[in-house]
Amino acid sequence: MANVPLYGVKTHAQKVCSLYKRALRNLEAYYDRRNVYRYQAVLLRDRFDKNAKITDMRKAVELLKEGEDELFKTQHPIPKLFPTSQGGVAHQRVVTPPDWVIDYWHPLEKAHFPEYFKRREQRKKEFIAMWEKEYGTADKKEEKH
Amino acid sequence: MNNMKYSICFISFFFLFMMMMVNFFFMIYFIMNDMVILMEWEIMSFNSLSIVMSILLDWMSLLFMMFVFLISSVVIYYSKSYMQSELNLSRFIILVLLFVFSMMLLIISPNIISILLGWDGLGLVSYCLVIYYQNLKSYNAGMLTALSNRVGDVFILIVISWMLNYGSWNYIFYLEFMNNDWEMMMIGSMIIMAAMTKSAQIPFSSWLPAAMAAPTPVSALVHSSTLVTAGVYLLIRFNMMLLDMFFLKLLLLLSGLTMFMAGISANYEFDLKKIIALSTLSQLGLMMSILSMGLPDLAFFHLLTHAMFKALLFMCAGIIIHMMNDIQDIRFMGGISLYIPLTSLCMNISNMALCGIPFLAGFYSKDLILELVSFSNLNLMIFFLYYLSTGLTMFYSFRLMMYLMVNDFNLLSIFNLYDEDYIMLKSMFVLLFMSIISGSFLSWMIFSYPYMIYLPFNLKMMVIYVSLVGGMLGYFISNMKIYSVNKFLMTYNLSNFLCLMWFMPNLSTYGLSYYFLNLGQSLLKNIDMGWSEIYSGFGMMQVMKKYSVFYNVYQMNNFMIYLFSFIIWMFILFMMLMFNN
Repeated sequence: MANVPLYGVKTHAQKVCSLYKRALRNLEAYYDRRNVYRYQAVLLRDRFDKNAKITDMRKAVELLKEGEDELFKTQHPIPKLFPTSQGGVAHQRVVTPPDWVIDYWHPLEKAHFPEYFKRREQRKKEFIAMWEKEYGTADKKEEKH
Repeated sequence: MNNMKYSICFISFFFLFMMMMVNFFFMIYFIMNDMVILMEWEIMSFNSLSIVMSILLDWMSLLFMMFVFLISSVVIYYSKSYMQSELNLSRFIILVLLFVFSMMLLIISPNIISILLGWDGLGLVSYCLVIYYQNLKSYNAGMLTALSNRVGDVFILIVISWMLNYGSWNYIFYLEFMNNDWEMMMIGSMIIMAAMTKSAQIPFSSWLPAAMAAPTPVSALVHSSTLVTAGVYLLIRFNMMLLDMFFLKLLLLLSGLTMFMAGISANYEFDLKKIIALSTLSQLGLMMSILSMGLPDLAFFHLLTHAMFKALLFMCAGIIIHMMNDIQDIRFMGGISLYIPLTSLCMNISNMALCGIPFLAGFYSKDLILELVSFSNLNLMIFFLYYLSTGLTMFYSFRLMMYLMVNDFNLLSIFNLYDEDYIMLKSMFVLLFMSIISGSFLSWMIFSYPYMIYLPFNLKMMVIYVSLVGGMLGYFISNMKIYSVNKFLMTYNLSNFLCLMWFMPNLSTYGLSYYFLNLGQSLLKNIDMGWSEIYSGFGMMQVMKKYSVFYNVYQMNNFMIYLFSFIIWMFILFMMLMFNN
């Protein structure tokens, strides 16, 4: 969603910076030649710079809202995305299963790799011991499994 | 497994290539002797209703099989390198082989039940191949593909139940002499609907660009040359029945619009594979429309030549995507002809064949089609749809070529691009050879009908005019200057509409599911959890409870109730005795 500031953005300055970056990315989608894009980016920067010195916060917030609105209304239908970034073509294409999946193997499956699982169990014990030494024992009531 | 000398890829390639050769010689033999073989194996006979498994071998099925075997063999050879880092390579190859098997079942059967087997197999395997990369995008695309194709499967199932009336499902026997039968017309309409889903004609066309989430070899085999032409092939087989039908005129309009819509959307698209998919959609529209004008042999001719150069185009796209580290957006690309000259050569030749540049594969079929369109008695709208789409083909091909090869490289300031190995290139050269010669050899050997075409000079040159205009437009829009005004932003709403395929993906995903989910929710609230609950579940319990409380009174062993009921009973008895006489 282009009209929502990025996660973790809190201050007004951060919101403006976020808007500026998203607007640049939107320009990239429209003007794919680098020199043309640079020209348009300078024009965009100029529009932001003109209002940089505004001290009246009410007006600044209003301008930010207008900027978000304009960005939303002119967003490119096919944004230019890197393949592995969110929404890109190769996003999460290669899936690495998490480590805990191995704990749910059937005992018969585990029996194929006796040495590995023996060492794994040993390491789990050592890790729990290390954890308890560092942070204390866990409350039994809070255990879910 | 990849390091073995005879990997699964090489064995499959060898097997399929040998099958292609066998098919080729049989095809020549069948054509020379004008032979047809029909084999039937009766599975069950019941009240003169026989379910048979039949195989029809004639020049048409053998020729199509030969092309499918050729493309699948080189695609599998190509995947050895393309899918090199894949962990489940055997699964991939087995899925592709299953796909080839389903395709064969579809091609050789003159029987609607065995067609359903092949048809459903195609749908299922293509679903498995689209979701081969297991990310969210692939899952969504796979669902869209599978459900759109499911509509066609249901139509085939309805056709099977309609054909129960004839006592057999060998449709090939009924085509000619039941031309004016109302039931046959119903069957024909449903076959057309089924073919429209498989070949992604207009109401169902959103799945084809979405299916580009599949690995590129799959796109080269499945979504460009074979699966999507299954619908066209089915209609070619059914063509005798379809003459003089109103529905066919509707098909002409819809396929013409598909051709036009796909051509326009390809000009707005930036995803390399989606551009090629949209051009496939445009060519499918061309095949369908020429078929609905009553020229099935031309549709078949274009189907075959198109299969060659479109598979090649996808394979080139695969090499480019590999080289660019999975980037498919053409805005990142440019100037690649300096780094991968051989692939660029293949890409350019297949693009030119697609545009119908003389003496390449596409020319022989496309030019004949367009001249016959000019020749036949059609209205102005269809005429314009054809010629505008031809111009648009040139338009997007030129744009793509400019973006890929002429403009500057646009991703990094330091880069090192190169062809990876000869495995992919070798398999591409087979198709390169075919996309140069297949048009001429098919037109000299097989489709050598003496069409007498007589046109005015300007109408004859119309193809060249629209191609030149399209090529120039393609050059201009890809050549962006600093001071040029962005036309996309000026016509934002219209461009959005054209860019997103006339909002068809939205209509067939959100559009459909929103209303049906709403309806489902209101049905759930009003019927399932409302009225039917009152009348069956909860309400019945209330009634039972109420009456059981009431009847409890009788079970309290109250002497007065027994006495009272005894008196009433005596009274009834008395009255009966009185009035009986």
